[in-house]
Amino acid sequence: MLRALLLCLLPATAFAGVDEVIDQHILPGYDRFAAETNALADAAASTCDMAALAPAYGAAFDAWMGISHIQFGPIEEDGRVVAIAFWPDPKNRVGKALSRLIADADPIIDTAEGFAEVSAAAHGLFALERLLFDPQDNPDYACALTRAAARALADSADEMVAEWPAFADQMRTAGAPGNMRFLSNQEVLGAIYTSLMTGLEFTKDQRLGRPLGTFDRPRPTMAEARRSGRSLRNVVLSLEATRDLAFALSAQPAPDTALAYDQALEMANALEDPTFEGVADVSGRFRVEVLQHQVQTVVSVISDEIGLPMGLSAGFNALDGD
Amino acid sequence: MIVTTRRTFLASVLASASLPSLTWAAAGSPSHLTAARDASGDYALYGLTEDGAIRFRVPLPDRGHAAAAHPTAPEAVAFARRPGRFALVIDCADGTVLHRLDSPDGMHFYGHGVFSLDGQTLFTTENHIATGEGRIGIWDRAAGYKRLGDFPSHGIGPHEIARIPGQEVLVVANGGILTNPDEGRDKLNLETMQPNLALLDENGTLQTLAEVPRDIHQNSLRHIAVAPDGLVACALQWQGDVFDSPPLMALYRADTGLQFVDMPDDILRQMSGYAGSVALLNAGEGIALTSPVGGTLTLFDRDGQVQTQTRHADICGVGRASFGGLATDGAGRVFRIADGAATPIARHGLSFDNHLIPIG
Repeated sequence: MLRALLLCLLPATAFAGVDEVIDQHILPGYDRFAAETNALADAAASTCDMAALAPAYGAAFDAWMGISHIQFGPIEEDGRVVAIAFWPDPKNRVGKALSRLIADADPIIDTAEGFAEVSAAAHGLFALERLLFDPQDNPDYACALTRAAARALADSADEMVAEWPAFADQMRTAGAPGNMRFLSNQEVLGAIYTSLMTGLEFTKDQRLGRPLGTFDRPRPTMAEARRSGRSLRNVVLSLEATRDLAFALSAQPAPDTALAYDQALEMANALEDPTFEGVADVSGRFRVEVLQHQVQTVVSVISDEIGLPMGLSAGFNALDGD
Repeated sequence: MIVTTRRTFLASVLASASLPSLTWAAAGSPSHLTAARDASGDYALYGLTEDGAIRFRVPLPDRGHAAAAHPTAPEAVAFARRPGRFALVIDCADGTVLHRLDSPDGMHFYGHGVFSLDGQTLFTTENHIATGEGRIGIWDRAAGYKRLGDFPSHGIGPHEIARIPGQEVLVVANGGILTNPDEGRDKLNLETMQPNLALLDENGTLQTLAEVPRDIHQNSLRHIAVAPDGLVACALQWQGDVFDSPPLMALYRADTGLQFVDMPDDILRQMSGYAGSVALLNAGEGIALTSPVGGTLTLFDRDGQVQTQTRHADICGVGRASFGGLATDGAGRVFRIADGAATPIARHGLSFDNHLIPIG
């Protein structure tokens, strides 16, 4: 209680988290994503051996996990976020969009302009995963589609890297005359905080919640990126990425947050169930549920230890639901 | 020609709560009404102008939801957030509470209401708790907002009610979701819910009932905007998997019925299965649909073709304005919608609530 009161008395300038978040977390994360997606696009351009592309694909996905929770900035434009990661996909829109293109051997993918017109479901990491890890009836077309999707992904990453400095300036100059995007530093912190919490909720409800399904109906085939065996890896990487962001955001040491993350990561690393197939049996399910519960604990601890002292909470209308 | 004698004129003045000569100019000529929470956590009803300035502020005892603006007199009815039991009739010229409307025993308000064409009757969406039947409450303004009775809304969970401008036709969005205040906002009938749009005359006689198709019956039709030509734009909230939501906007026309618009995958996924408010814009600007959950404003043309989608965290309130429309967000921003784009034009230290109500 005393600590909370003292924090309230600190001037707003004590919360210098914005520069740290931009310079230590966001910009390096986007640079890495652009480098890895370009490496994947270059590799795809040089070979149609899908197995040979798996390491570059994994590195690109790893890089995406470092920034996938950042929901503001150039990612908000042109539906980019959906075109990068079309998941969850309960009605198999990715599979259907790819099947349509492949069945017609549609030449629309031959140009970047044409591919841009194709459904977002046939773009990005999840379309590429199908192309790389599922058997293909028409390998030539699948190779061309892989090249188009990898190139478009890298182009999108390059565009965002190019656009980020201008957006970062808007974040840093919140409240300055003419800055209509961010009218106060608190609003910038709010956007960062919302991304942090939404990212954690996504891991809890989607990455863990989807395969868990219900007790009577577990859904292991709904696990994220199970074809490439990345389901658990994505949970670990998302926890690490949001931890990185939480520490960059918080102006104060956050020992409770650190401990909650340590416990969550320890549980995740001990699971040894890369695609959550274990949710189909009682003991395997229990261990994933315990992990899910611990992610909720991380959310609660961050809310108390970082959000509350900084005067941050989630959206007013977004949570009303009426 | 009706000649008003001095005696009948005085009688009419005495019978009405405020002077008949007072117009919205007496309240600073606001163009829109909205509820909001301020930095100290207090709730109030605000009058906004088209340039985003605040013209008046009247305190509310609790969180508001929507309001009904009298067509001519500077009088607003502010509704409590669902499931509310009261509404306040506010004189926006001097900030006084003229009347308090309490929902009858066994009923509660859903948070929206609208005035009749002549401005003498207020209609409110209500739940008959014991049966779960949607009702429309009738209140007589000239008699100090005396309760006159109620008629069926022709569905469960009537939420927004509007009137076709210039006509005595009410349009009711029956969201279809059964709730009971004893169980908070828990949704009790998701497996069987059947939302609809009901058009009624001001006596409550049903003219048309347009149902949401059976295969997407979990798409709750909750908010509407109505144009003078009878076009109704509907904003929906999907109760199923948010990553598998059907289109969240439908258009109703008398000749074509209720038609869902086509929303591409990327546009739809950004809305997280939730449309919070909708406006039919002026000046040829089409339709605006907000999603506070997805943090998006999507602009359509009048035929429902997507024009643009932009991201604005916690945006929700939206209403027509002379140049197109205005929108508000939970961070106190007011946006001008014109020329196919939304531009922030003002910022207040407030969290604007879900709805922005055009006056007149």
